[in-house]
Amino acid sequence: MSNQLAILLAVLLFPGGVFALVLGLALKGVDRRVAARLQSRIGPPLAQPFFDVIKLGFKRTTVPEVASQNVFLYAPLVGVISVLLAVALVPITGVYTPAPAIGNLLVLLYLLMIPGIVLMIAGSASGSPYGAIGFSREMALMIAYEGPLVLIAAAVAIRTGVGMGGWVTFSLSDIIAYQREHGSFLFDPVMWPAVAAFCCFYPANLGIVPFDIPEAETEVLEGPLLEYSGPVLALFKVMSALKKVVVLSLGIAMFLPFAPDNWALGLIVWLIKLVVLMVIGVTALRVAIGRMRIDQAFTFFLKWPLLLAVASLAVVVVV
Amino acid sequence: MSSNNVPETFSIPVGPLHVALEEPMYFKIDVQGETVTHVDINAGHVHRGIEYLTTKRTMYQNVVLTERICSLCSNSHPQTFAMAAEQIAGIEVPERGIYLRVVADELKRVASHLFNTALLVHLTGYETYFMHMMQVREICQDTIESIFGNRQDIGAMCIGGVRYDLDEKSIAYILSQLDRIEPEVHDIIKTYKSNGSILRRTKGVGVLTHADAIATGVVGPVARASGVDYDVRREAPYAAYDRLPLVVHGATDGDVWSRAMVRLQETLTSIDLLRVCLRDLPGGAVNINDRPDIPPGQAIARCEAPRGEVLYYLRTNDTPQPERVKWRVPTFMNWDAVCFMMQGAKVADIAIIVNSIDPCLSCTER
Repeated sequence: MSNQLAILLAVLLFPGGVFALVLGLALKGVDRRVAARLQSRIGPPLAQPFFDVIKLGFKRTTVPEVASQNVFLYAPLVGVISVLLAVALVPITGVYTPAPAIGNLLVLLYLLMIPGIVLMIAGSASGSPYGAIGFSREMALMIAYEGPLVLIAAAVAIRTGVGMGGWVTFSLSDIIAYQREHGSFLFDPVMWPAVAAFCCFYPANLGIVPFDIPEAETEVLEGPLLEYSGPVLALFKVMSALKKVVVLSLGIAMFLPFAPDNWALGLIVWLIKLVVLMVIGVTALRVAIGRMRIDQAFTFFLKWPLLLAVASLAVVVVV
Repeated sequence: MSSNNVPETFSIPVGPLHVALEEPMYFKIDVQGETVTHVDINAGHVHRGIEYLTTKRTMYQNVVLTERICSLCSNSHPQTFAMAAEQIAGIEVPERGIYLRVVADELKRVASHLFNTALLVHLTGYETYFMHMMQVREICQDTIESIFGNRQDIGAMCIGGVRYDLDEKSIAYILSQLDRIEPEVHDIIKTYKSNGSILRRTKGVGVLTHADAIATGVVGPVARASGVDYDVRREAPYAAYDRLPLVVHGATDGDVWSRAMVRLQETLTSIDLLRVCLRDLPGGAVNINDRPDIPPGQAIARCEAPRGEVLYYLRTNDTPQPERVKWRVPTFMNWDAVCFMMQGAKVADIAIIVNSIDPCLSCTER
């Protein structure tokens, strides 16, 4: 019983739920502010994402006549729940260890796919042709990036498993424990191809330039989100904020989990890593380049990240 | 895919209000997956009846009215109108006025070309460079505002000359501003030639072949980028262009990138023309300082607006109002070419291709 309560708390309070939501929206605020400064603009206040979500919460949701109402309204809810669960799965070194029943890399990979699928379903349920284009683009992009992601996860799992004397281990706590003992994978040359492939994966998963193709504003007017308004749109904003926390902390857990043993210090170090990763990996990236076309992105993923991921798996198995 | 294995097409509306389009126009685009199969252009959302209004106003009021047809070509319209009126009345514009017409025209051209090429990078999702290019354009806009008192409708033209004059101080100011813009434009050209983000979205996209360019009768940078070597400033010099070292730039690829490059190189040429104009600026009056009655008659005048050839037909009678004013704007000519450029294009390219003809809907639909 206490175990179930702990999981529930993890999902709703810390590190999921309230904590992750505030963190995700704050990260979004920092991202927008830093991006604005890099583009020599002033930018919105740091709390702007909070204002946006709160304001949307008080607005009315309109459902298009041609939309299939239930799917249209409940799809984002499924997305938010899945990322809430996903946040609770990712360990924070020295601070939070998920219950063994759920702290599994494979479960996390499945949960990470759901927001993308939700976006696809939402786009097609809205009945808008832009939603339909967003659907097909999101699908193509997912096919392109999910392959490398699975291979990256496998490489990490095998490296850990072999290191611990077994074959593979998908337990995130073990992966972190192994790295704390033997050094982070980021500093392990064998793992560099996997790190590089991961660096290609997460912009696509987070839907930022150059891979914001399904929601490209100047092309398909935010695609799947075009018909959304009010609290339901706020759910999408919440979903993407939470997803940012999940993906970045997954990166930290897989490649850079070192941290002091102290609870408070550990949390601070984790937060610093999160912000630095986001500013370098998300903000700097999206201001530095333009958007790709979907066919270009697809070819890119089939070429580099897949190659890198296969290479990393091969290297890990051989070494 | 439908059951009998024929790929389904569906149509998407682009416009009349669309973030990627600066003005209301409506494309009904049939797509198959991501590929465009058919384009239907629908216009008329900003029709204001200006051609009718011109016949209700006097010739001198019409200079003001034609300036308000469109804001980006707001200098070319009154200039061409004034040229037609001067032709009918046999008015000789003073030398200084002729040069100042070029100054106003070329300053607007720099601003217009930089605006269009900036929008192109905005549409490719490269926001940072968009911000940078708009800042470079802002130098030009600042100059225009300081000299004319307005950013868009500069009110420089009048029948018989121009309505503004430059003193030593303002000439020095324009020259110093040009010195600030020029290296930036060189930098922008370098970026356009080397930046992967820009190249992969514009090279080979929206190609208009030389044959198609001639068939559709395109004008301006669109024509020049497809290898049609035509510039009104050289073919039928007006104002002071016969005395200026005008270089007409061209390209042969006819894609979006070439059109942008032609515009950027023309920006540099405009800066050169401005420098020569300001150096050789003759003394004397800037206009005829009179408002003679325009006698009955008819005339055609044309000039090279930033988007291409603007052509005015003017017929006057005994009344102070013109009997008929008719103009043909570059976008009207370039518009049909969009259908050729869109053949086999991707959905992602639609906005980029439309922007590459630098459409000016207010002019076209007036």
